[in-house]
Amino acid sequence: MDITEPVLLILLSLAEQPRHGYAILQDAESMSQGRVRLSTGTLYGALRRLLEDQWIERFEEKDSSRGRQAYRLTATGRRNLRMEVARMKHLTRLATLRVAGKET
Amino acid sequence: MLALYRSLLYLYPSAYRWEFGHEMMDVLAEVQAEIRKRGARERVLCVAREVGGLLYGALQEHLWSITGSQGGRRFSSLFSSGRFAMRSEFRFPKVTVGLMMVILAAVMFTIEKARAISVSIPHANPAVGPIHPTQAMIVQVLLATLIWAIGAGAIGWAILFALHRSGLQQLSEMNPSAEQRSSK
Repeated sequence: MDITEPVLLILLSLAEQPRHGYAILQDAESMSQGRVRLSTGTLYGALRRLLEDQWIERFEEKDSSRGRQAYRLTATGRRNLRMEVARMKHLTRLATLRVAGKET
Repeated sequence: MLALYRSLLYLYPSAYRWEFGHEMMDVLAEVQAEIRKRGARERVLCVAREVGGLLYGALQEHLWSITGSQGGRRFSSLFSSGRFAMRSEFRFPKVTVGLMMVILAAVMFTIEKARAISVSIPHANPAVGPIHPTQAMIVQVLLATLIWAIGAGAIGWAILFALHRSGLQQLSEMNPSAEQRSSK
């Protein structure tokens, strides 16, 4: 599974709490401070792939009168997200060291 | 605008539409309601983004439904374990591609050889003068092209219709994992 920025934002949004489609769009926009605005087509393409790879699961919201579908991270998804965050931390640390080394 | 989005959703594979279509329309309706509060420029940008996203998404889903891999992945991912990583009904050995390339090279070589021979042999027939196309000839050519295009379209449609009716698509739509997920 390729973790692009939109996919990462979706996963981070669901890591906090289960959300439905529109709430994920809004959260991704607010997390990226308006820089990333996902279209509905992009969102559902990513959700379909994440469901397929069992990183997330779909369920019906109980408190919704319309029986709206919501998404949450699975244990596999959470573990993979943790690994991805660790990888990014390592890269950031490395990048900081290299850039600082070049500047001094 | 929602009618436009709904019509664009018909570009998606039917199985995908069945699983996510209603949900996507709900989200699009919420997005539409939200952008009404914004300026004209924002609205145009949002519609362009949604239309682009739906078109790109439909293309990706069709690609996925054929290859079984994600459109965003590298093309090399199609060639894994000596076979094209396509869905089972489309699988064929990688050696087929090699064979097709050899046949293509042989055909091209033959054409080039024939051309070389025809140039080396002096023409027995007198040279034909320049051809001046008349209006009637142009109409004939256009008519023939039109008939050919209609024929090709009809054959293409018949093939797609036969594939659709063959049951392969119906079977692929009966995705048990999707049903399990939706029932959860």
